[in-house]
Formats: sequence, C-alpha cells, structure tokens
Amino acid sequence: MRSIILQILAVTAINLKSLPQRLWLSLATVIAVGLVVTVLLAFLSMANGFRRTIADSGAEDIAVVLRSGAVSEINSVVLRDQVRLIEDGPGIARGPDGKPQTSGELYLTVNGIKRSTGTKASLPLRGLGPLGPGLRRGVVITAGRMFNPGTNEIIVGRALGKEFEGFELGQTVTFNSTRWSVVGIFAADGSVFESEIWADLPVLQSLFKRAGSVQTVRARLTSPAAIETLRAYSDNDPRLKLDVMSEAAYFAQQASNTSDLIQKLGWPLAIAMALGSLAGALNTMYSSVAARATEIATLRAIGFGGFSAFVGTLVESLILAAIGGVIGAAATYLVFDGFTASTMGASFSQVVFNFQLTPRLIGQGLLLALAVGLFGGLFPALRAARMPIVAGLYG
Amino acid sequence: MLSPADPIDPMIDIVDLCKRFTKGKETITIFDALNLAIPRGDFVAVMGPSGSGKTTLLNLLGGIDRSDSGAIEVAGERLDRLSESELSRWRASHIGFIFQFYNLMPMLTAAQNVELPLLLTRLGRKERRERVETALGVVGLADRVKHYPKEMSGGQQQRVAIARAIVSDPALLLCDEPTGDLDRSTADEVLSILQVLNRDLGKTIVMVTHDPAAAQYAKRSLHLDKGHFIEKELVA
Amino acid sequence: MNDLVLIRKNLFRRKLRAILMMVSILIAFAIFAVLASFERAFNAGQDRATPDRLVVLNKINFTQPLPISYYNRVAAIDGVAQITHFSWFGGYYQEPRNFIAAFAVDPENWMKLRDTDFVFSPEARAAFIRERTGVLVGARMMEKWGWKVGDHIPISSSIWSQKSGSHAWDFIIVGSFTARIPQADTNVMLMGYDYFNETRSFGKDLISWLALRTTSVAANERVIEAIDGMFANSPYETTTDSEKAFSKAFAAQLGNIALIVELVVGAAFVTILMIVGNTMVMTVRERTREIGVLKTLGFSGGRILRMVLGESILLALLGGLPGLGVALLLITKVRDSLMNFVPALSLYPDIAAAAVGLMVVFGIITGLVPALNAMRLNIVTALGRS
Repeated sequence: MRSIILQILAVTAINLKSLPQRLWLSLATVIAVGLVVTVLLAFLSMANGFRRTIADSGAEDIAVVLRSGAVSEINSVVLRDQVRLIEDGPGIARGPDGKPQTSGELYLTVNGIKRSTGTKASLPLRGLGPLGPGLRRGVVITAGRMFNPGTNEIIVGRALGKEFEGFELGQTVTFNSTRWSVVGIFAADGSVFESEIWADLPVLQSLFKRAGSVQTVRARLTSPAAIETLRAYSDNDPRLKLDVMSEAAYFAQQASNTSDLIQKLGWPLAIAMALGSLAGALNTMYSSVAARATEIATLRAIGFGGFSAFVGTLVESLILAAIGGVIGAAATYLVFDGFTASTMGASFSQVVFNFQLTPRLIGQGLLLALAVGLFGGLFPALRAARMPIVAGLYG
Repeated sequence: MLSPADPIDPMIDIVDLCKRFTKGKETITIFDALNLAIPRGDFVAVMGPSGSGKTTLLNLLGGIDRSDSGAIEVAGERLDRLSESELSRWRASHIGFIFQFYNLMPMLTAAQNVELPLLLTRLGRKERRERVETALGVVGLADRVKHYPKEMSGGQQQRVAIARAIVSDPALLLCDEPTGDLDRSTADEVLSILQVLNRDLGKTIVMVTHDPAAAQYAKRSLHLDKGHFIEKELVA
Repeated sequence: MNDLVLIRKNLFRRKLRAILMMVSILIAFAIFAVLASFERAFNAGQDRATPDRLVVLNKINFTQPLPISYYNRVAAIDGVAQITHFSWFGGYYQEPRNFIAAFAVDPENWMKLRDTDFVFSPEARAAFIRERTGVLVGARMMEKWGWKVGDHIPISSSIWSQKSGSHAWDFIIVGSFTARIPQADTNVMLMGYDYFNETRSFGKDLISWLALRTTSVAANERVIEAIDGMFANSPYETTTDSEKAFSKAFAAQLGNIALIVELVVGAAFVTILMIVGNTMVMTVRERTREIGVLKTLGFSGGRILRMVLGESILLALLGGLPGLGVALLLITKVRDSLMNFVPALSLYPDIAAAAVGLMVVFGIITGLVPALNAMRLNIVTALGRS
C-alpha cells in the first residue's frame, strides 16, 4: 500500500514538473474551465438573488387576498363590500384597539427612467392604508418622513431610488397631471417592497378613478395555520370568490417563473461549454501523456505499476480543472456578487435585486469543474497506464 | 580547379564560396573560398568526416541555405542572386532531394507522396498520374501505389523518395546519406537505381555518404575536409 | 490529389484530436446561433414594426387605460391613415396558467391595420365583422389548443368579470389567420370590443391603447405632437411613440438580454479560441520536419501559409456547420414550449450567414500564428541539418 502511494506521488511529481513544457495548452484548459464556471455561477447567482429578493419578501402569517384567477396584484380587483367581508373574516389578528390588522391596497404601475440604460421602465406605485407598512417586515424610513394621509406625498423604496432616476428626496414627480413630492426614503429589509413607491390609498383611489375598489387586501393572521380558516370562509361565501394565500406562497409563485427560467438557461449553457472545454482538457492530457512517454516507460521498466501512471495523469487533470474552477468562482465573486440588476417581475413592473453567490453555488461550480477534470483525465490516464514499455523507451 | 569540368556547360560551378555560422558568440567558418565545378551527367560521391561541411554543401547546392559570399551557379542559375520565392520555384523544377530518413508524408500513400512535387506544376490530373506511375516503375514499386509509408520497408520507402525526387524530371539529384539507414543488400538496390538514373536517364547526381562501398557506385568521389576538397579519383 | 486533399489529410492525421477540436467548435457555434436567434426573436417586435406605425399610450404607464372617445378624436387628426384600438383581456383557458394573449379590438379596422402582417381569408374577415360574439384566432394558437373554426370556447379573464359575476366569456371561433411575414406572431386571439365592453362589469368605455399608421413617415412628428398636445392637462394624458421604440423599451425592461448574450457567446468563443489556437500551434510544431520537406520540394512559404490557414478554416467549418445544424434542431424543439415568451423564435438566415463568416474569421485567427511560423520556417533548421 505504502509502495503504491509512493509510486503515485513520484509519477504525479513528474507530471507536475513537466507542466511548464505545456504551459500554454495547460493555461488554455485552466482558463476554459474558469470561464465555464464563471458563466454557470453568474446565472445561478442571478437566479438565486432574484428568488431570494422576492421569495424572502413574503411572510407566512400575512394573507394576500386577490380576485380569483388574477395571478398577480396588478390584475386583481377587490370591491369595497368584499373588503369589509374580509375584515370581518375569521383568523385575522386584531390590534389593541380591536381593529382588524388589514390593509386594502392599490397596485399601479408608473413610468420611470432606469439610470444605467436611460430607458423607460414600469415601476410599481402602491397605495396603502395606515396599517399597510406595519404588515411588512422591517419597514423603516431611512431619510425624510412618512407621507401624510390625504396629501400628494410619496415615499420611495431604497432599491428603486438607486436604480431609477427622479425619485430623490425632495423632488417632485408628475403622474396623471398631478404633482407628487418625494418626502421619504424607506428600507424594507432588502425585500421586494424596496422596489416600490408608496402613497396614501384614498388619494390614489381618487386620482386614478378607482374609488370604492382596491386590488388586494393584506391581513395579519392570528397564526400561519389560520390561512385555511380564512380560505374556507372565502370559498363558502358566494359574494367573495377570492383567492386567499399566504404572502410567502404568493411571492414564491411570483419568483419561480423568472428564476426557473434563468436557471434553465444557465445550466444547459454551462454544460454545453463544459463539453467544449472537455475537448480541450482531453487534448491537453493526451499531449501530456505523449510528452512524458519516455519517463512513464522508464518508470514502468524499473518496476512501477500501471496504476500509478493512471493516477498521476488523472491527478494532473484534476488539479488543472480545480485551479480553473477556483479562478472561475473567484472571478464570479469579484465581478458579480452583489451586482445590482433589475428585471420585469410578474406584474409587468421592475424588481430590483442583487446577484447572490452562496457557498452552495460555488460548490456546484467546483463540481462542474472537477467533472471536466475527471472526464478530461480519464481516457488519457488509461492510455498512460496501458502504454507499452518498449515503445515508450525507444520512441 | 580540382576536377575536369566541362568548361562550356557545367551543372555546378562554385567560385570563392564562403559560408559561416554563428553559434552564440562564436562564428564557425564552414567554407572559406571554396571552388567546385561538376559537369552535366556526372555522379559524384562527397565523403568526409562529420563537420566537414558535406551537408552544408548539399544545402547550398539545393538552394535551401544561402551562402555569405561568392558565386554559386547550379543548372544555369546563379542561386546567390535569387530571392526565397524564386529559389522555391527553381527547386521545384530543377532539383530532386533524397534524404537519409526518406522524409515521406506519413498520411499520404506512395503515389500521393510521389505526386507532391507535381502539385507545383501545371500538369493535369491524368498527366500527373502517368508521371507518378512512370516514376514508381523506374524504382520498381509499381505494385506499391496505394501503400502508406508505415506499411513499407526502409528500402521501399527510400525508393518512393527517389521516385518523388525524379517525378518532375529535374536534371540534378542531391542525395544525403541515402543508404545511411539501410542494410547492405537494400543499400545496393537503392544505389543501383541511382546508377541507372545517372547512366540511362542522364541525371547529374551529387551524393553525400560515409560509406566507401556506396561511393563505389559513383563515377568519382571527392573528399571534403575542414571546408576543402582533397582529390581522390575513382573509376566507376 | 490537390492541396485540399493534402489539407484534409493533415487535419485528420490525429483523428481523435481533430474530432475533439470539432466538438468544441460545434458547441461554441451552436451556442452562438441559439443565443443570437433568441435575442433576435426577443426583439422581433422591433423588426416587425414599420416606421410609420405609432402607438398611443397613457402617459403614466402602458397598463393605465385611455377613454374610448380618444379613438375618434385621434382618427380625425390629419396625417392618421389607419387606426384601431386595443384592450388587454388578460385571458386564460381553463386554468390561470394556460395564458391566452387576447385583445378586444375594432374588428374591421384592426384587420385593415394588420393586413401587412397577417393573411385574412374573405370568409374570416366577413364573419369577424358580422358575429358579435365571434373571435378570430391565429393559426398557432388554433394548433396549440387543437381548436377548429366553429368551436365554442370559454375564455376566462384574470382582470375582468361579466356583469353576472362570471370571469369567463363564451366565444365562437369564427375564423383564423396566418402570418404574412415570419416575425408576425399568430399565437393570439382577437374579439370584438363592442361585445366585451357591454358585458364587462367595470372599466366601461376604457381601452388599453391605440395603434395607428400615419400617411407617411414624414408626418410622424407632426401627428405625435398633435395627439399628445390634444390631451395635455386632461385626466388621461397620452404619450405617443413609434411601435418600434415601444417594443424596444418593453423588451429592455427584462434586462439587458443583448449584453448577457454577448457575454456568454464571448466566453464560449474565448474558450475555444484558446484551446483550438494552442492545439493548432502544437500540431504545426509537430510537423516541422514535414514542412521543411515540402519547402525543399519547392513549395513556397506563401503556399504553406495558405495550407495551414486552409486547415484551420476547414476545421472551423467542419465544427461550425454541424453546430448550426444542432442549433436549428434545438430551436425547432423548444420553439413551441417558448411560444409565449419568444414567439418568433427561428434560426434566421442572416444569423446563419454571420455564423459562417465567423467560422472563417475563427479559422484565420486560430491558424494565423502557426501559419506564419510555418511560412517563416527555415528549411535547414526544420530538417535538423546544420
């Protein structure tokens, strides 16, 4: 056993020492693997960032009530009478004053200009009642103040303000020939709500001619399990016909399409590129074996086993691939981690999110790199192990 | 003049030829004012110890290496006055090279190897094929047309190389140790072919060799030592 | 035998190596062709739009409505040749995930405006104008759901409801239409606005946007100013834009697709450029002696340069052309499942042509260094004779 290990170490050392002779080819393989890993991780960290931003926005103990079949907030309509019925429904938490913890909300889209491209983009404008902000985790005003009810004042999410022009504190914006002042900037724990503009519900209702109706109702539940009670209540009342789901479920469903799509693009692309770089790795390793034919044959002639020639070649290939993988992961981390992007979410409006590289994703990238190294080294290693000694010795 | 050259029309006429090599900081003089004349139809064996300049002479005669000074006229052309591309064209029509290690293209068949120089001519496909068949017939390999070099013996490979050298009908054949890698009887076969080429087809041949037995096939042999010829007349 | 035979024999001297190179080139070109086609299909809206087409939208955002009265007022503006209005229906068939792209329009004028994109049979044209509850369904949508002319289909809306409270409308398919130009998407359904407007429970007399064609491109500026000026300071201000600019801005909202495509294609090409380029250098270096022999035989430096370049270009073509084939196959396979996302997905001829051009460039780049080395090769050194 010890002998085998010593043999393997000796062969591996010879392989690695002869690397400089194939410097450019080996370097090409390393960089090729690095690029493959970079492409994969860029897509995965994008999908992950998008999913986390949206999916983490939802709470289990908040119910979202939409018109049935509406799928997303922008389509939904909930009438005044329905809002009242929901407020009186079972399973809804009440405040110290006995009022139900609900917020009827309007969800509209308005145009903004994206800073990076200068193009028009649709931004969500949410009208909410006094309880609205309290139904969301970690909402704090980071600059300025909350809008005053009954006025044309808006507060702007932190992420939205960074990505889009014209929403700086103190500025005025015009929607529907009325002027609105930005009086505050808010943070919401990095959630999707930071990509929104908030205004007073009754003001929006009247200016956008939506008096008497809202689009969604949010309600704090007495417990996450109370969602079933509320849903049963809605299903059994012919006046309601509403979709009731937890906010977490709502956002998970909103995020899944886009993040699935990104992942579905990323993996096949990365695998295709991996196959391309596999060709390069095989080539490098075959020429490595050819270049060391004499050394391998000499070692075999003095009694080294074929297995050590096999392992030595495989280790060289794996090391090259691993270096490539680490370079790729490091490049992705430096270039993409925390990179802010925005895309259109399910409601035709922009969602601002950051690329998020996690150790788990890096692990997936390194696995792909090692797979290239493994397959790229396997066949050349077999050739090295099976090489006839005499042919190697005498060219 | 050391040799009885035809004063009117020599195949090779070298006057005051100089050739030096620089290796690092050192300059090695191979030839210093070398003179040589070889008449048409001659078969000369050039012998001499390693480093005497035999191969360099052959390279200069074949126009694959350049002299530093002096005049070198081969087959009526002043090689020292030709550009690289003119030399290429000239080689294609006037010179046939035969090497010690045959230097055949491993991925081409015998016929294709022989056909290679004809790609540099304007000959049509049919004419090329006839020429290839003739050349392979001359070296006695008409039945090995479709064989690849690795499927042939050393002697056969060298005969293919000879066919390649004569296929474009050059007047001068330059042979560098053509039998250096062959056993005695095979070497004799190859040398006999060269002799036939010289005697019956009138090819001028310059052959570098170490082997006195090979030199016997030539009409005469020249001994090169430290860049100078020492005459040693032989009768074929 | 000729130079091409020689080049081919050289290339396949080491079969495994040549095939590996081809596979990696194949993959890079397949990635290029698929992604470039995606991007093109994605921006098909811009390609389809002719410059004389304008859209009139609510200034706040395209999801905000406009009053139907704007239709006649805009139609009367000098320089407007044809006009129709659209209302987004937000349709689905049976389940909310079975999305149906459906619009309520003015049938007669919609068909006039879209005559350049679609082919309408005289029967379908007449029936769509005549039948109040009739819908016109594009060929691909018919095929997707297996519908026939004459079928009664319930289509639900995720936005609207009927006065009865139902979210579903029963329609009769009165006709179908096909695409006149490849970029035109026929995965779409049209219904008469009058019936939709009368039956819905809210949003009465509102539309989503107007689409129009001007009498000439030169009239565009004037028409845009006339429309937006007419409705300035009203409760429904408008923004009028060319259809092309609108499609472009809409596509841009998904993010910079072009940049992502360029980065990935770039990464793929850099990868194989390095691999193939290095391998070509190595291959030609191994052949040093043979190149020396060819030169001795009288092959000129230029001819040898051309032979090495020919070899690398042949390699690129032998890898790249099958790559295009693979791309075509992939695109044909995913076309239907991505119909809603990128409707006009196909391998466009100019993308294929660009790919072939790229192959030649790629071949030249990977072959240039070894070809120059081979051209400059000194015969004496190459043959090891000095």
